[in-house]
Amino acid sequence: MNSIKEYFQTDWASMTLHDWLGLGITIVVFIVMIAIYSYIFHPANKKRLEAMRNIPFDEDRVNTEDKK
Amino acid sequence: MASTDLEQKYNFEIVRWFSVASVIYLVVGTFVGAYAAAELAWPALNFDSPYLSFGRIRPLHTNAVIFAFGGCVLMATAFYSVQRTCGVRLWSDKMAWFTFWGWNLIIVLAVITLPLGFTQGKEYAELEWPIDILIAIVWISYTFNFIMTIATRKSSHIYVSNWFFLGMMVMITYLHVVNSLAIPVELFKSYSIFSSVQDAMIQWWWGHNAVGFYLTAGFLGIMYYFVPKQADRPIFSYRLSVLHFWSLMFGYVWLGSHHLHYTALPDWAGSLGAAISIAMIVPSWGGAVNGMLTLSGAWDKLRTDYVLRFLIISLAFYAMSTFEGPIMSIRVVNALSHYTDWTIGHVHSGALGWVGMVAAGALYHLVTRLWKTEMYSVKLVNMHFWMATIGIVIYIVAMWISGIMQALMWRDYDEFGALTYTFAESVAAMHPYYVMRFVGGFIYSLGGLVMLYNVIMTIRQAGTEPRISAEPVKA
Repeated sequence: MNSIKEYFQTDWASMTLHDWLGLGITIVVFIVMIAIYSYIFHPANKKRLEAMRNIPFDEDRVNTEDKK
Repeated sequence: MASTDLEQKYNFEIVRWFSVASVIYLVVGTFVGAYAAAELAWPALNFDSPYLSFGRIRPLHTNAVIFAFGGCVLMATAFYSVQRTCGVRLWSDKMAWFTFWGWNLIIVLAVITLPLGFTQGKEYAELEWPIDILIAIVWISYTFNFIMTIATRKSSHIYVSNWFFLGMMVMITYLHVVNSLAIPVELFKSYSIFSSVQDAMIQWWWGHNAVGFYLTAGFLGIMYYFVPKQADRPIFSYRLSVLHFWSLMFGYVWLGSHHLHYTALPDWAGSLGAAISIAMIVPSWGGAVNGMLTLSGAWDKLRTDYVLRFLIISLAFYAMSTFEGPIMSIRVVNALSHYTDWTIGHVHSGALGWVGMVAAGALYHLVTRLWKTEMYSVKLVNMHFWMATIGIVIYIVAMWISGIMQALMWRDYDEFGALTYTFAESVAAMHPYYVMRFVGGFIYSLGGLVMLYNVIMTIRQAGTEPRISAEPVKA
């Protein structure tokens, strides 16, 4: 292997329909993954997302308040 | 939540049945495994009977622990937590019972057909085509009921444990159906529609994802609900849990090819699987740390809460096996580890340590909530914990030593290029470790028996108390 260019050399002409489908799905999944990670780590979403961690306790809290 | 919701009736009866079935299958499945391990140490134990031969007993063990025990645990916990986090009863009680009886029928059919030698010869997918169709139908009923329960939820957000359960259900449906595609030639004989290396790739695409989605994502759903509930603290970071979920969903499907290094599979495919395996260490450890740090500021709970001990040590095993697995997927390490007992040790550190321990913790939690009583004996819970932990350690240490020794013996050659050891010599060298593995597995199985006794006595103790189906359970 002589160069980076050679390493990434691809015979595009021999790509089959399945190859193109696989490539397309991989790129779409990668973009979706980046979008989801950006959403999760965006500071504006922190408070809203972290509030959800109390869901398993919501019912207990209501029950306790009701008994009071 | 409005006060009327407090009158909401959950279907806990189905959860009770699945929970009790889980504990019974834990005992049966692990003892069959211990017997199979004993056969390897003392081959005479097969009594020259084909029905008791290792080749037939071994898939019976794997099907019993993965699908009978693991399946019932997943169904019990998913049906329980989805009701509690969504604030609604299961969408269909009838469909839930269909799932219960259908799943148990599949287990009975497995117990009959596997010792008789009916098998597709595909790991974790041995059952023949009529049973495969039944599995698909019952699994879809479980999935559909779960989805419809979420669809009718009272809460606006779907809690992360439900995401993990749902991810598992959708992916296992897809994986099971594709991997089971076969041409039947007789009632209990079929041939895969895939051939040669494509068949191997599809099989390991399924095989690794049975681990990745069924035994990991599903049990992470358990972790994300039961660790916070048992610790009485919300999960350390919800954002990290979301990141964990999506990373697993995007990543796991790529890994299967790392099972086929040095085969007819193209090198690039195996290397891609290995590279993504290494990348998966990050989200896996993120999830393990997220679960453990839920105890941040309350570590003292581990001193007194034995159920929490099960849950937290399971995360230590989860972290350990999700590090070991990717390392074993690296080509040079795989050249040593593949086809040896190291793989068996790795699988069992995940299965006994992660799956078994998190399941035991969740089941103890469920039993006390569902029967509204304390455990019959906390000492026995503690005894189970230590028997399980010691059993696992003995098992995996034996397999690590045995595996590496096997690999070194197989690849050793003399100055003339001839193999130093015959295969039979390597088998003889394994004997002490096979005995040690049996001892570790047997101790773990006895721990399960202690759990079964404790659960039965707890249920009997609660027998005269009123059932709690009609009111929310205080957690």
